[in-house]
Amino acid sequence: MANNKKRVVIIGGGAGGVVLANRLPKDEFDITIIDKQPYNYFLPWLLYIAFKGSRKPIKREIRSVLKPWVNFIQSGANVVNLQDRYVELESGKRLEYDYVVIATGASVDYSRVPGLDKVTEKFGNYHSNEDNAWRVWQTLNKMREGTLAVILAPGAYRCPPSPLEGVFLAEEFFRRRGLRDRVRIVFATFYPRPYPAEPMNELIEPLLKERGIDYVTFYTLDRIDPEKGVAYSMEGEELKFDSAIVIPPHVGVGIKYVPGDVLDSDGFVQADKFTNRVKGFDDAFVIGDASALPVAKTGVTAHLQAGVVAKILQGEDARNTGRTNCPFDVGYGLGTFVISDFYNPTIKYPINRINHLFKVAFAATYWDMLLYPELWDPVFESYFEATEPARIRHLYG
Amino acid sequence: MAVSQGNKIVVDARGIACPGPITEVVKAYRNARNGDIIEVHATDPGFEPDIKAWIQRTGNQLVELRKDSDKIVAVIKVTAKK
Repeated sequence: MANNKKRVVIIGGGAGGVVLANRLPKDEFDITIIDKQPYNYFLPWLLYIAFKGSRKPIKREIRSVLKPWVNFIQSGANVVNLQDRYVELESGKRLEYDYVVIATGASVDYSRVPGLDKVTEKFGNYHSNEDNAWRVWQTLNKMREGTLAVILAPGAYRCPPSPLEGVFLAEEFFRRRGLRDRVRIVFATFYPRPYPAEPMNELIEPLLKERGIDYVTFYTLDRIDPEKGVAYSMEGEELKFDSAIVIPPHVGVGIKYVPGDVLDSDGFVQADKFTNRVKGFDDAFVIGDASALPVAKTGVTAHLQAGVVAKILQGEDARNTGRTNCPFDVGYGLGTFVISDFYNPTIKYPINRINHLFKVAFAATYWDMLLYPELWDPVFESYFEATEPARIRHLYG
Repeated sequence: MAVSQGNKIVVDARGIACPGPITEVVKAYRNARNGDIIEVHATDPGFEPDIKAWIQRTGNQLVELRKDSDKIVAVIKVTAKK
């Protein structure tokens, strides 16, 4: 029986990779996860390190969140050869596969905006790592007056609501410190409106106005100078700041692929949006942030795609619905969710306290949820069914 | 996805929901120079008001905006890059 098992190599031990590995039955698959570092990170919590100084641990050893029968190899991948069906590790060793699943996540590329590396070093960000998130926390604590700019650099980025979550949490921070009247907060985005999807923007834009937060739309960040305190846009605008937190452009992680044309110009892997099959290959899949698909780069997306790929590998005719469910914290213990799918635009989902509590509760269960899908899947399935866009759009528009 | 053809950049944003098409335009705009043409193909109905607003805000030139049977086509001349 053991010889008949299909060999699945999963590249990346983040949410998507781990969810998939733990869902595949051990009697049918020989499952191997590779990752260049030993930890699984709960990246959404960078927001709370940056804006609340949270000391909750955000990483856990990948091995500890995998089922015992899943193999784990700590190594980067040099090459993914889709034509000859192998993954080459850093050591040069080749892992042959029956199926490969790319779940590498995304990386950030500071070089795309001149000056961004220095700005990040000085003020931090909350889209890369713990050190940079702590820098944001130090930036906030140092500010007594002046302008804090939160700027969304053009390109892909993780977690659609997070730029504005940071803006709202910064506003709460300064108000609670009694400094709100001395600190101006300005949000700059290349999108036509503060939140890109119009229905959600109908909730968010009034809230920005109510809290006295300034915003600039169609602002395409071109370069930024931390010494002068000026961010320049391609449209010729100059945005002056005392502190600036820039959401950096995200790109693929830089693994070599054969053939190379499965990657787009940002290094993301192109695939079918319904099945996650890599363009041109039946035995290769990409899930989560690593894909070039026009879907949100969030853990929820990775989780749901992993579920679909797990079913496809077991012979089912499963398809993605494009469902999003991104928690959106707006400060003061309030939140909403960005809910949509391929067939329904974003819902104008009301802001309330329960939504914020859901976000915090999810964070508390994250690793448990990864390790015990058999316990948590029914809970999530009930939630997703109850909040299905086609069902609730009539309630909220 | 954007493909360069001389000084013309063709952006295929069909099948991408809002705000995907405008994101693709901005990505192409980043790599463009004054005088270049960006031709965008999109299917999302929200693209039409968004591209009009983008043109108004950025000061670039909208050469053509037409609706074919299966897509919206916007032809933009890049004129306002600083």
